Amino acid sequence: MDRRAFVKATGVAGIAGLAGCSGGPSDGSGDTATESPTESDDSDDGGEETTAAETTESGPAANVGMVYATGGLGDGSFNDQAQSGVIQAEEDFGIEYNEAQPDEVAQFSTFQQQFAQSSDPNYDLVCCIGFLQLDSLTENAESYPDQDFMIVDEVVDAPNVASYTFMEHEGSYLAGLMGSLLTTQEFSAGAGSTVPDSAALGFVGGVESGLIQRFQAGFEAGAAAGNGDTEVLTNYTGSFNDPAAGREAASAMYNDGADIVFHAAGNTGTGVFQAAQEAGRFAIGVDRAQSITRDSYADVILGSMIKRVDTPVYGAIESKVNGEFPGGEALSLGLDEDGVDLVYGDSIGSDVPEAVADEVATAREDIVNGDISVPMSPE
Amino acid sequence: MTSADRARRVLKRLVAASAAERILISSAALGLSILLGAVLVLIAGRMTTCTASDAVYYFGTGFCYDPVLVFDRLFLGALGEPFSGGWSPEGQFSVTLRETTLLMFTGLSVALAFRAGIFNIGTQGQMVVGGLATAVLVLRAADLVSGVVGAVLLIPFGVVVGAVFGGLYGSIPGFLKAYADANEVITTIMLNFIATGVTLYLVSGAFKDPESAANQTVPLPEYAQFPTVLFGGRQDFSLVALAFGVLAIGGLYYLLEHTAFGYDIRTSGLQPDAAEYGGVDAKRTIVASLTLSGAFGGVAGAMYVMMVLGTFQSGLPSYGFDGITVSILAGNNPIGVGFAALLFGVLKSGTTVVQFATDVPPQLVGVLRGLIILFVAMPEFFRMVGRRVVDPGSKPVATDGGPAKGSADE
Repeated sequence: MDRRAFVKATGVAGIAGLAGCSGGPSDGSGDTATESPTESDDSDDGGEETTAAETTESGPAANVGMVYATGGLGDGSFNDQAQSGVIQAEEDFGIEYNEAQPDEVAQFSTFQQQFAQSSDPNYDLVCCIGFLQLDSLTENAESYPDQDFMIVDEVVDAPNVASYTFMEHEGSYLAGLMGSLLTTQEFSAGAGSTVPDSAALGFVGGVESGLIQRFQAGFEAGAAAGNGDTEVLTNYTGSFNDPAAGREAASAMYNDGADIVFHAAGNTGTGVFQAAQEAGRFAIGVDRAQSITRDSYADVILGSMIKRVDTPVYGAIESKVNGEFPGGEALSLGLDEDGVDLVYGDSIGSDVPEAVADEVATAREDIVNGDISVPMSPE
Repeated sequence: MTSADRARRVLKRLVAASAAERILISSAALGLSILLGAVLVLIAGRMTTCTASDAVYYFGTGFCYDPVLVFDRLFLGALGEPFSGGWSPEGQFSVTLRETTLLMFTGLSVALAFRAGIFNIGTQGQMVVGGLATAVLVLRAADLVSGVVGAVLLIPFGVVVGAVFGGLYGSIPGFLKAYADANEVITTIMLNFIATGVTLYLVSGAFKDPESAANQTVPLPEYAQFPTVLFGGRQDFSLVALAFGVLAIGGLYYLLEHTAFGYDIRTSGLQPDAAEYGGVDAKRTIVASLTLSGAFGGVAGAMYVMMVLGTFQSGLPSYGFDGITVSILAGNNPIGVGFAALLFGVLKSGTTVVQFATDVPPQLVGVLRGLIILFVAMPEFFRMVGRRVVDPGSKPVATDGGPAKGSADE
């Protein structure tokens, strides 16, 4: 074997391959070409546009640092949703952002400090996603009093931190209401149908905590509001990542006459959907529109109680850009603030009777107006 | 000459390499891995898109990621900017030393077992058990004492608790191997899952901090955590812990090289049958070395709880598994573990700097890290393999019994 020829050939092929790659920086000449007409446009339009051009030259409206929860981007839920908030803000306000994806708890502090210490660029706001960042942010908010932070899902009591939590109970109330209205009716859609002679619903939780109990409390209150006789069966599986346990818990509920099971159990909920398909009943998803993200179960997912992590990220950046940063405040995002909502299933949601949808919409209005107050802990 | 012969000759050469040669080989491997990594960064830089102003230009071609910047950040960033005048004791260097300290203990844990001929993959589980025990018992003890006296008493107490519980957990696979002939690779892996599961159950139930949404124990008071000495407080690093680590390295070195027990361990590792024939109690040595190995793992857990987090939280980082690589990198030599842990610490801490300073995705940085470790570890790994395949002494002796061997080697 001629080694030299092989090396040469590999080298040539490699360089050719590299040059042939579709990516790389966009062409410099192309950039100037697109820039020059813009400039001429500016001069045509006069004063107003020139100011706009000047602002872009003086740099972005704000520099934002993102510290995601462990699990990182590409998780299809929490972090990706937070990222969509910052991307939207980039489009709307012309901010720039930098991202850090810690893979262990000890790195939260490291990244928060790196953003806080950085002077090139100087970060105007550091977004900390997820409740596990509480401890490190409590320390760092004190160490860097001039740096503004925001945290999602927890409350840090410091003048330079804006804390955002969600009113999961409000969205869950709507889910419970919809469920209790449907369970007494004869209703069938997709792969599921109800058993009208029993008025029962199910709730499957992950690890029992104050946060997940808010889902349960809202769901139970909504169910009671729709039909006082509705029984809500509850089960906490003790894990957010145990589909088998979710399936078992939900199967038992369907056997006991529950028509619709709502889960707040992360990936455990996948098992709830499986059980719904097996039993030919319905389920309600959580956090994201799960009839889209788990589309193989779309024929049993009536709707999802979504939690919009992008809303606080976008909101905090917006208030920072406008100079109204709510430092030191603890904000709770409910239906009114676009923090939570009930969305109907992508494929069978449209089959929900109009009367039910109307009643849910009315309840939504009532909660927003403050006519209905939803309890935060189960009775 | 067949390729098998050639491979055997290379192995033999590796096994016979002197210390200076080994350092040279490792440095060359490091350089080679950086070169290969740079090419990967360049290729990845061609496969993504960016604006012209963000790109760097080599050989007249634009690339989105700059390999020079990546490796500059990876190493200099981890050392806290030693050349740019911005070195501060509160900086990234403390993070590097923090990681180094923890990896020292897990590395020693694996190295000790390896020397006894046992593959302890259970360091992670032993660390988790030791960590939880430390968090719970130190918290109880912290009610009794406080202040400076508290720190002086509680920290050694915590380390001992970690060592005892880690050691007990490590002794389980030891007993299973010695008296039931159960393969330690299987049992230690299984015990890792058990440790993770049971501690999660405990920390989300009986020992859970009611104030916190996370599955964690009640945080230890300040005086029950490693004190900040000179620098590193903001990065949760304590020189005291590093001193413990250096002491442990020295202690294990002494134990292995200069005591009768260490001799038992080493001979059992090299040639179990001969060791037993020579009077070593094989069963006792297996249990003792796995217990001691577990104790080092447990101390790593105690350090993580008392230095880094100040509480035990479910989902500990995989220091235990990194310890296996550290140990292989060090050729299972306690002194080498110190340096290997430092290299590993630099890479771990540098990764966060790279992620912060460049657009290079963290996954790619992980690949670079893996390349460096793979390249540096491989010569040592082949040496270990080689020692079993070829005879390291390999001087032709008349009584060797292998008549053709001496001449064939020349």
